[in-house]
This record gives sequence, C-alpha cells and structure tokens, in this order.
Amino acid sequence: MTALLQISNISKRFGGLQALNDVNVSIARGEILGLIGPNGAGKTTLFSTLVGLLKPSTGSIRLEGREIAGMKPHRIASAGMVKTFQNVALFLDSSVLDNVLTGGLLRHSVSEARALARHCLAQVGLSDIADKRAGDLSFPERARVEVARALCTEPRILLLDEAMAALNHAEMDEFLALLRRLRDGGLTLVIVEHHMKAIMSICDRLLVLNFGRQIAIGTPAEIARDPAVIEAYLGRSAA
Amino acid sequence: MKPALKYALIALALAVAVAVPFGLEPRGYATRILCLVLLFAAMAQAWNIVGGLANQMSLGHAAFFGIGAYGSTILLVKYGISPWLGLLPGMAAGGVAAWLISLPTMRLRGHYFALATLAFGEVMRLVANTWGGLTGGPSGISVPFSKPGLAVFQFKDMRPYYFLMLAALLVVTAIFAGIRHSKLGYRLRAIRENPSAAEAIGVDTTRTKIIAAVVSGALMAGLGTFYAQFQFFFDPDTVFSIPAISVRVAMIAIVGGVGTTIGPIVGALFLIPIEELANQTFSDQAAGLSQLVFGLLLIVVILAEPRGLLEIGRRLWRWRGRT
Ligand SMILES: Nc1ncnc2c1ncn2[C@@H]1O[C@H](COP(=O)(O)OP(=O)(O)OP(=O)(O)O)[C@@H](O)[C@H]1O
Ligand SMILES: [Mg+2]
Repeated sequence: MTALLQISNISKRFGGLQALNDVNVSIARGEILGLIGPNGAGKTTLFSTLVGLLKPSTGSIRLEGREIAGMKPHRIASAGMVKTFQNVALFLDSSVLDNVLTGGLLRHSVSEARALARHCLAQVGLSDIADKRAGDLSFPERARVEVARALCTEPRILLLDEAMAALNHAEMDEFLALLRRLRDGGLTLVIVEHHMKAIMSICDRLLVLNFGRQIAIGTPAEIARDPAVIEAYLGRSAA
Repeated sequence: MKPALKYALIALALAVAVAVPFGLEPRGYATRILCLVLLFAAMAQAWNIVGGLANQMSLGHAAFFGIGAYGSTILLVKYGISPWLGLLPGMAAGGVAAWLISLPTMRLRGHYFALATLAFGEVMRLVANTWGGLTGGPSGISVPFSKPGLAVFQFKDMRPYYFLMLAALLVVTAIFAGIRHSKLGYRLRAIRENPSAAEAIGVDTTRTKIIAAVVSGALMAGLGTFYAQFQFFFDPDTVFSIPAISVRVAMIAIVGGVGTTIGPIVGALFLIPIEELANQTFSDQAAGLSQLVFGLLLIVVILAEPRGLLEIGRRLWRWRGRT
C-alpha cells in the first residue's frame, strides 16, 4: 500500500533553534495518527511546515506521491491537505456560515459552497449558530467552526492542532465520534492533543516528538511502554 | 434592515437622483457641484474595492485616474478618437498600472503600503510633467471643442453630464456590490481578517489582491476620462494630485463608511458640498482657513465614529427605535 503522506528527513531551523530535526514518517490512507510531545517539541512547527506556512530547511514531503515541500499553502490545500490552528484563526468579523463557506470556495461556486458549509456545520453540531458572528463565540465553539471550515475544503488529510482543547467530557466524546465518522468516510487525520486518554483511544499510531526529534513511533500500547517516551514525556508530566 | 425596506429606499434614492437636476438651473453652480459629488462618489467606490474590501490603504489612486484622463484625451487630441473608445485603452492602461504596482507592494502592510502607493502616484505626476511631447507637460492639455452631442461626450449644459456621472456611479457601485457577494469578495474579506488562515484554506492571496487592484485601477482610469470630458482642461498637478484626488477619494470612503456599498456615496454627498461651502465662506479670509475648517470637521467625524457616517446613522436609527 502506498502512503498518502510521506514525510522524509524534514528539518526546520529558526536561527539557532533546531525546531524539527530529521522527522520521517509515512501516513497511510484512512489512518488516524496522533502527534504528541512536551510543550515546544515542534508539533505545531511540523504542521505549519506540512501545509506550506513554513518552508522546511531540508527534506521532502510527498502527498499522494507528489512533492509538495516548498509549495504555497493554497496549492497544498487544493492538493488536499489543510490544518487547523492551535490558537484558532477564524475570520472574526464574519458570520460562522461565511467562515465555513470560504473553505468551500476552493472547489465550488458561492451557492454550492454555502450548501456544503451548512452540511459541514451540521457535522460538527453547530447548525444553530450559523448566523452568529465568529468573534462572539466561545473558544470551544470557535475551534469546532475551524474544523468545519477545514472540512469544507474537502481535504484528503486533515491536521488538527489541539482542536479538543477546552472541551468538556461529553463534547470530547462527541468530537471523537465525529473523527471516527470522518475516518470511516475516507479522511486521513493527524491530531495533536494533550489529552492522553482521548488520543490513546482514537489513534492507530502515535508519533512522539521531543526537542524537534522523533523519539518514538508505534501503536498507543507500544508508546505507553516505551522507556524513551516515559522519560521524555509521560515521566515529566507525571512529575 | 428588511430587504423590502432596503429596495424601497434604493428606489426612492434613485428617483430623487433622477428628479433633482430638473429642479435646478441646467448651467448652474449647484448642478455642477452635484456632478462632482457623483463623480467623486464613483471614484471613492472604485477605491473602496482595494481600500475597503482588501483593506489596503492606497494613497496612489490618482495614478490610475490620471492615466485614464490622459489616455483618452491624448488619443482624442492626436488621433481624433472618440473619448467613448479612448475610455477602453485608458482603462486597460489603468489596470496594467495597478497590476504592476501591486507586484512589489503586495506584501507591504499598513503604512508601508500607503507610502509605496503614494510614491507611485507622485512618480506618475513627475512623468506627466516631464514627458511634455506626449502630455503637454506642466501647461496642461485641453479637450478640443466639437459640436456637442452624446457621441463626442460633450454637452452645452450640465444636465447630460449629471446623468452620465450618475450612470457611472451606478455601474461602479453595481460592480462593487457584485464583487462583495462573489468568490472574490469572500476571499478578500478572508485575507483582510486573517491572511494566514485564508491562505491555509486555499485562498491564493497574491492572485486575489492583484485581481482587486486591477479592477479598482481600471475603473478609476475610466472615471479619469469622465473627469477630462467634464473639465475640458487639466494638467499633471490636478489629475495626479495627492490631496485633491488620492487622499480625497480615500477620505470620502472612510468618512462615509469604508468597505460598505453606500459609504462612498454618503461620504461624497457630505464632503464635496461642505468643502465647496467652506471654500466659498472663507475664501476672502486668511489663506488656508477653509482647509483648516474642513480638516477639523473630518477629525470630528472620525473621532465620533471611526467607521464613518453610515455607522453614526445606524446608531441614531437604533437609538430612535428604542425610545
Ligand atoms: N516562528 C518561529 N520563530 C522562532 N521560533 C519558533 C517559531 N515558531 C516556533 N518556534 C520555536 O520552535 C519550538 C517548537 O515550537 P512549536 O510551537 O512547534 O511547539 P509545540 O510542540 O507545538 O508546542 P505546544 O505544545 O506548546 O503547542 C519552540 O521552541 C518555539 O519557541
Ligand atoms: Mg503547538
């Protein structure tokens, strides 16, 4: 089986700081990959590099066999990969519906995009606030709007950067159910999440970063007993 | 506002706009001022595509205006080409100029974009002053007189100009409103509110901004031809003027309500007559007094409501509804 996304030898430097150091991973179609690591490990940097908001210092990124490293974000979005932002980046003066609709314009006319946007809002359970101004929403609502907007671009692979932050238990269960439905619909997902129970329950594999370096990759069970991970990540958060 | 009420108001405004010149002296001063109101409203509306929808504070729109004015007038003077035909190459040249200036200024934000566009307008003024063989240089250029008529875009009195200016304003406003509700409008709003997010969900920010700039520049150039035919005479310092064109169109849109469809119209209805009034009232006083009064008035409006007169109107409307 060929990989949907093939990340090879990706490094990213910010001046003297090596934010990513030789990351290699291949993601299969329909997989849910968790990306974990302590604060500052490079998770957001990896996402930004993958979608073209940052240029990798070295390495190659192949989406469905096509090299996309160094392409502009809008070209990568139209090739089928989008991310959501950790600090949530909505169009705050626009309505929720208009936010989501703008994602749909990538492949559709305004009226088609509007219909698709309603569908995406229904998927994330936000149909009833479609006409609210995005700037008036709570943080968890904004995060879900951003997921709907990303879905409206009809991606093949979606990168979620802490989209579940600040959700309560019931909301988190609903969100995990949504992710499973999306995966069953053929979408590939990479998720960054600090909530361990959630990520352990939903991911097929986990990739662990520490100081920009990939220290482990494997099933949740393998990762949970990996000594390097316990040392670098679980150990620290338990202390 | 309910759609029915909105359409009723638009119909009423149109009816008034059509009726007004028949109540005025056709060669009179008032009709002339109204022509300028309509023309400047249209210019501010063209500016509003870049300044409002894309939120790029251009202070160089006189460049496109002057290119259009000179374009059609030079074609008329040198080759006898009707201004109606000359309008088209003028608009094309304005669009190309806008495209060229957007390439290097694309990534500039705020003040830097404003300064770069300002400089571009100045360069055009210098070029027109220097290249006398083509433009007539600092002594200006005159539209040759011919037998009045629609075909030659010349008339004996002000009324036909009034209706042509009104038509121009309606066309530019329709284009502006069309853009707002099209893909381009949504994309421009996305770029304005969050450029990285827009780019990340597939908006080609470079292309989108260039399209907006080209449409805006071409329309502005077209209005330059209208101005030339209306004034009969102009020179580089008038059509490429920073205060009289570039800053004024930005000011009209901002005072009216930047980024809104009727903001530039409200702004022009307010600013142009007041400016005239200030000029008349204070012209025999100390030099510059009228500008001072005018400037103070602008400051008061912007301090009262940075989003402009339209927003002040909205607030009054809500307040009235409450009591
Ligand atoms: N644009 C930038 N310029 C310079 N340094 C940066 C930049 N972006 C991130 N960094 C640095 O790179 C490192 C990795 O940051 P990153 O945001 O990718 O971490 P993260 O794993 O997402 O952390 P968190 O869990 O806190 O979100 C950090 O040391 C950060 O300070
Ligand atoms: Mg992060």
